[in-house]
Amino acid sequence: MSLIQTENLAKVYGTGDTAVTALSQVNLKVDAGEFVAVMGPSGCGKSTLMHLLGGLDRPTQGRVMIDGHDLGDLPDQALTALRRRKIGFIFQFFNLIPVLNATENAALPLLLDGRPKAEAHRQAQAWLAKVGLGDRQHHRPDQLSGGQQQRVAIARALVAEPALVLCDEPTGNLDSRSSDEIAGVLRQAANEWGRAVVMVTHDPRIAAYADRIVFLKDGLVTDETVLDPQKSGNSALIETRMKAMA
Amino acid sequence: MSTYLTLALRYLNGRKLRTSLTTLAIVFGVLLIFGMNTVMPAFIGAFQANALAMAGQVDATITSKSGEAFPESVAETVAAVAGVRVVSGTLERGIGLPADFFDQDPATADRLTAVTLVGAVPDTIRSIASFNVLQGRFLEAGDGAVAVITESLADEAGLQLGDTLSLPTPIGLTDLTIVGLLPQRLLPGNEEVLVTLSEAQRLFNVPGQINVVDANFDTANEAARAQIEADIAAAVGGSFTIGVLQPGAEILTNIGTAQRIFTLLGALGLLMGGFIIFNTFRTIVAERRHDIGMLRAIGASRGTITGLILIEGLIQGVVGTAAGLVLGYGMGWLALAAVSQIGRQLLNIQVGAPVVTPGLVVLSVTVGVGVTLLAGLLPARAASRVTPLEALRPSIGALAWRRIAGLSFWAGVVLLAGAAAALVTGNAGLLALGSFLFIGGLILIAPALVNPIAGLFSRVLALAFARDGTAQLAEGNLSRQPTRAAVTSATTMIALAILVMAAGLITSLAITFTEMLENSLSSDYLLVPPTVAVWGVNTGASPTLAEDLRAVDGVDVVSSLRFAGTQINDVAVGLLGIEPQAYTQTSGLAFVEGDPETAFREIESGRGLIINGVLQASAGVKMGDDVTLLTPTGTVTYKVVGIASDYLNAKTTTGYLSQANIAADFGRAEDVFYQINLKPGADRAAVEAAFKQALQPYPQFKLVSGQEYVDQNRGIFDAAFAGIYAMVIFLAIPSLIAMINTLAIGVIERTREIGMLRAVGAARSQVQTVILAEALILAAIGTAFGLLTGLYLGYMATSAFAALGFPVTYAFPGQAMVVAVAVGLLFGAFAAIIPARQAARLDIIQALRYE
Amino acid sequence: MGGEQNWDIKPAQVYTTLGRLEEAGLVAEEPVEAPAGPDKRVYTITAPGRASLNEWLGTGVEREHSRDEFFIKLMLALLTGQPSPQRLIQTQRAALYRDLHAVTAQRNVADPKRELAKILLLDKAGMHLEADLRWLDMVEARLDEVRRQPLPEPEARPRGRPRKSAEMIGS
Ligand SMILES: Nc1ncnc2c1ncn2[C@@H]1O[C@H](COP(=O)(O)OP(=O)(O)OP(=O)(O)O)[C@@H](O)[C@H]1O
Ligand SMILES: [Mg+2]
Repeated sequence: MSLIQTENLAKVYGTGDTAVTALSQVNLKVDAGEFVAVMGPSGCGKSTLMHLLGGLDRPTQGRVMIDGHDLGDLPDQALTALRRRKIGFIFQFFNLIPVLNATENAALPLLLDGRPKAEAHRQAQAWLAKVGLGDRQHHRPDQLSGGQQQRVAIARALVAEPALVLCDEPTGNLDSRSSDEIAGVLRQAANEWGRAVVMVTHDPRIAAYADRIVFLKDGLVTDETVLDPQKSGNSALIETRMKAMA
Repeated sequence: MSTYLTLALRYLNGRKLRTSLTTLAIVFGVLLIFGMNTVMPAFIGAFQANALAMAGQVDATITSKSGEAFPESVAETVAAVAGVRVVSGTLERGIGLPADFFDQDPATADRLTAVTLVGAVPDTIRSIASFNVLQGRFLEAGDGAVAVITESLADEAGLQLGDTLSLPTPIGLTDLTIVGLLPQRLLPGNEEVLVTLSEAQRLFNVPGQINVVDANFDTANEAARAQIEADIAAAVGGSFTIGVLQPGAEILTNIGTAQRIFTLLGALGLLMGGFIIFNTFRTIVAERRHDIGMLRAIGASRGTITGLILIEGLIQGVVGTAAGLVLGYGMGWLALAAVSQIGRQLLNIQVGAPVVTPGLVVLSVTVGVGVTLLAGLLPARAASRVTPLEALRPSIGALAWRRIAGLSFWAGVVLLAGAAAALVTGNAGLLALGSFLFIGGLILIAPALVNPIAGLFSRVLALAFARDGTAQLAEGNLSRQPTRAAVTSATTMIALAILVMAAGLITSLAITFTEMLENSLSSDYLLVPPTVAVWGVNTGASPTLAEDLRAVDGVDVVSSLRFAGTQINDVAVGLLGIEPQAYTQTSGLAFVEGDPETAFREIESGRGLIINGVLQASAGVKMGDDVTLLTPTGTVTYKVVGIASDYLNAKTTTGYLSQANIAADFGRAEDVFYQINLKPGADRAAVEAAFKQALQPYPQFKLVSGQEYVDQNRGIFDAAFAGIYAMVIFLAIPSLIAMINTLAIGVIERTREIGMLRAVGAARSQVQTVILAEALILAAIGTAFGLLTGLYLGYMATSAFAALGFPVTYAFPGQAMVVAVAVGLLFGAFAAIIPARQAARLDIIQALRYE
Repeated sequence: MGGEQNWDIKPAQVYTTLGRLEEAGLVAEEPVEAPAGPDKRVYTITAPGRASLNEWLGTGVEREHSRDEFFIKLMLALLTGQPSPQRLIQTQRAALYRDLHAVTAQRNVADPKRELAKILLLDKAGMHLEADLRWLDMVEARLDEVRRQPLPEPEARPRGRPRKSAEMIGS
C-alpha cells in the first residue's frame, strides 16, 4: 500500500452561487522515497490538495489515507499528533517563529512532541548541518537569508523523521541558485532518506528534480509524467539534443 | 514546558515596552488591594491593642456586650457555675491621656497616649493571674490612693517607687502613690495601672460596679470547658459575652466600610488591568496569527497554543503581582506614616506598621494572577481556534472578532439595563455591582457605536485637516476595525470615567461635610477630650464640671455629651446623651428624616432615640421602629424618632438620647464633650481665665474656641481629602497609562500598513496626520463616553454613600468635566505622537517587513 | 580547458577550413619548416583576418526560432484536430520534462572543476527546455482563452482562398 493514497478527493469552497470547486476526483498515490511535483496554473487547486494531504483542511468528498490512516476518521487531537510525527511542512512564507533561533525552530516538532530539550536540539543541529547550515545554528530568522530560512524549514520538516514532506512553493521567492539548492535537498530527502516528498511549484526547473509530475487544471488531474532517470536511451537523447544546440 | 516558557519569555522580551505597560496595570491593581488592606488592619490593631494583656492567663473573660459596667453581683453568679474554680471581678477603663501629658514636649511624639486603669480585689486577682512584683509590694485590701504599675510606664513617666502618678479621671486629676513595680508588658497594648476595686469605683464614679469578670476553670478538658462556658453564658444572660472588652467597637464598623471601599477601588484597578491585558493579548493573537497557524500545522495541539498564550499571561501576572505586593506594602507604610499624624490628633491612637496576613497575600496573589489569566483566557482560546491554514492564507483572522462584537452588543444592552435597575434599588452592594455592569455594558456595546460616532467626529476633524482628506482615511481605518477602535476608546472611557466619578463624589462629599461641620461645631467654645468620636476610650468628667462652667460669669449655655456603649441588632453603637434644649443652641443635627422639633421633644418625654444614617444602614432600622438596646443589665426598648447626624459622629454608628435616659438605663453621668455659648457682650478674656481655672483638675479636656476648632477640623478634613485625591490619581495613572498603551498598540499594530502607505507615496506628514486624526477620533469617543459614565458612576457612588448612611447631596463636577475633556484629548494626541513619529520615520522596507 | 570529447575534430576538416580561410586572405601560411611530426603546417592570422574575427566576436548571435518540428505538428493538429492539440501538448511536455530531468540529473553529477564546459552546456540546454516548457504552457493558456470565447459561426468561405489560422482554431 502506498504511503499516500487519495480516493475521489474533492473540495468545494462555499455554497450555492458562490461555490468554488477547487478539487474534484483526485486519485493520487505516492510511495515512500518518491519525489512528486504538483504543477498547474494559478488557482487550479494545488494548495488545496496540499492542505487536504496534510490534514490541515477536510475534504468535501473522498478520502485521504496516510500510512493506512484515513484522515477523515481522525479527531483533531489525533490529526495534530499525526502531523507532528508523520508529516513535515514547508511553506512559502511565515515558516519560522521569529523569536526563536535556527536550532530552536528546527527542534520545534520534537519539543512539541515532548522530547527532552537537549536531545531535540542535538537532532535539530544534525539536520541543520545536513542541509548545509551547520554554521548558522544560533542565528534568528531575521539574521538569515530567504534561502537559509527555507533550509531551516526543511530541517524542521525532516527532524521528526516524518514519512511525508509537503512543500507548497518552497522556492517561490528565491533566486534560481537557491532554488536549486532547496530542490537538491528535497531530492536527497526522497532518494537518500526515503521520505515521500510532494512539492507544489510553478518552476519547471524545480519540477525537473522530481521523479514524477502531476499536472492539475481546474481541480482535475490532467496528466501525470514519470521522469525516470534510469531509463535507457535517455542519455543518448540528451546527446542528440545537445549536439543540435551546440 | 521549558520550551513554552522560553517562547513566552522571548515574545515578551521582543515587545519590552508593551510588556511593561501591560504588567504595570496589574501592579497597580494589586498595589491598591494589598496596600489598602494592610493599612486598615493597622488601624484596627491600634484600637484593639487595649485588650488585656492578662487575657492569656485566664480561661474566660466575661464582659457586657455593650461594653458598659455592671453590678459586682455578676461575679458571684459566675463563681456559682459548676466547674468555675476562681473568679475575679475588675473595673477596667482606658484613660486617654492628653497630648504631651508625661513628657511635656510637643516636639517628640508621645509614646503613651492612653493607660488602662484596672481596679481589682488584690486577693482574687492574684488567685487568677500571677504578678511578679519587682520592687515594692502588690496591692493590699484596704489600700486607698496607691497603684502598682509596670516598670516601663514608670520609666516613661520618669517615676520611681514611692513617687506620685497623676492621672486624669472623671472626678478630676487624681494622685496615686506608686507602691509596686511589675515587669514591663510583653504583649502590645496599653500600660496598666493597678488599683483596688473600690478606689477604681471611686475614681470612675461607679460605686458597686465592675465591667470585667475573669474566671479560671477546674479542668483542662476541651469539652468540659466548652460546657462550662455555655453554663456561664446561660447564668449571666444574653447581655453578656465571653470575650474581652473592645472599646471603640462602633468605629470599627466604619473602618470596615472604608476598607471595603478601598477594596472596591482596587478591584476597579484590577478590572482596568484585566481589560488592558485582554486588549494586549487580543493584539498579540492577531499579530501572531501566522506563527500560531504554523505551529498548529507542524503539530501543536489546541491546548498547546492556549497554554502558550496563558503562560505569557501568567508570567506577567506573577511579575505584576509580586511587584504589586512589594509596592503595596511600601504604599501602606507611607500611607500610615502620613495618617499617623491625623490619627493622633483626631483619634488619639498609635498606628503601627502595615499588617500583612497570609490570607491577604493569598487573596492578592489569587486575584492578581487570576485576573491576568482570566483576561488572557478569551484571547488564548481565540488563538487556539486559529486554523493551520491561517499560516498560509493571511486574511482570515479578522472575521472572528467581528462576529463576537455583533453578539456582544446585546449582552452589553442587558448589562446596562441591569446597571439602571441597580440604581433604582438604592442598595449599596447592588450599586457597586451596578457600576461594574455599567462599565462592562459600555465596553460591550462600544463596537456598535464606533462607526456612527467615528463618522461624526471625522466630520469635525475633516474641517481641521481639510487639505488632504486624511481624516476620512482615519475614519475609514476605524470603521474597518470597530472592535479595536472600541477597545481603545473604552480604555479612555474608563480612565476618564474614574476621574469624573471621583471628582463628582469628592465634591459632593466635601460640600455636605462642610455644611455639617459649620452646623455642628458653631458654638463659641468647646471642651475637647483626647479622642473625638471614639468616646468610649475617653475619661470624662462628673457633672460638677458642667456646674462649675455654668457658674462662670458671661456663660449663656453649656451643653454636654454623655457616652454609653450598646448594641442594636448586634451592631455596636455609641449612644450620646444630650440635653436637647442646650444642645440645639450650641450645636445641631442635620436631619434626613423626621421633624427636629418633634424628635427632640420625644427623646425628652419618653424613650425616644435619634439615630444617624450609618446606624440606620448597618443595623437596618427605619424611622418609627422600636429598637432593642442592650444595657449593662438587660435590654430596653426605644423608638426611633428621627434620623440625623452631626459632624463629629457622622462616621460612626451613633444614637442620640436624653441625658436622663442614659443615666437611667446605662448608669452614665459622665460628660465627655462640652460646647459652650457666651452671653452677648461677655468678656472673653475673663471667661477663658475662669474656664482654665475650672479645668485645672481635668487635664483630659482641651479648651478651644469654636472657630479655631472648625478651622482645625477643616484642615484635617482637607488633609483627608488630599489623601483621597492622591488615591484617585493612583487609580487614574494606570488608566491613563492604559489609554496611551492601547492607542500606541493601535499604531504599532499598523506599522505594516503605514509602510504600505509610505510606499505608495504618502508623505511623512500625511502619515502623521492620519494617525493623529485617528487617535483624536478615538480619544474623543472615549472622552464622550467617559464623561457620561463618570457622571453616572459619581451619581451612583453618592447614592451608595447614602445607602451606607452618609446622605450626600450630589454636586455636578463641572470643573472636572472640563479637565477630563482636556486630559482626554491631550493624552490622546500625546499617545499618538510618539508612535506616529516613529512610524513616519520608519524605513519603508522595515515597515513592510514588520511582523 | 576540459570537455575535450565535445571538441574532437578530424584533421582533414581542419585543413579544408584553413584552405578556405587562406583563399579569402584571412590567414597566411608560415614559410617555416616544422621539425616535428608529418604534415604539419603553421598558419598566421592576417590583419584583415583579425578585423573579421573581431567583427564576428563583437556581434550578437541570432537564433533561428521559426523552424521547429513540434510547431509543424501543432499546426497540423490545429488544422485537422487529429490528434487533439491538448494531447499533443501533453506528449511534448512530458518529453521535454524527461529531457529536463535528465539534464538536471547529469548536471548535478558533473564535476564543476573538470567539466565546466559540460555544465555550461547542460545549463544552456536546461534553460532552453524551460523556455520551451513555458511556451507550451502559454500555448495551452492561449488555446483555452480562445476556446472559451463565444465565437461567431464561421462565414461561408469563397473557394481557393487560404484559411486564416484564427478561424481554424475556432472551428
Ligand atoms: N477559503 C477559500 N474559500 C473560497 N475559495 C477558495 C478558498 N481557498 C481557495 N479557494 C479557491 O479554490 C481554488 C484553488 O485554490 P488554491 O489555493 O488551491 O490554488 P493554487 O493552485 O494553490 O493557486 P496558486 O498557484 O495561485 O497558489 C481557487 O479558485 C481559489 O479561489
Ligand atoms: Mg497555492
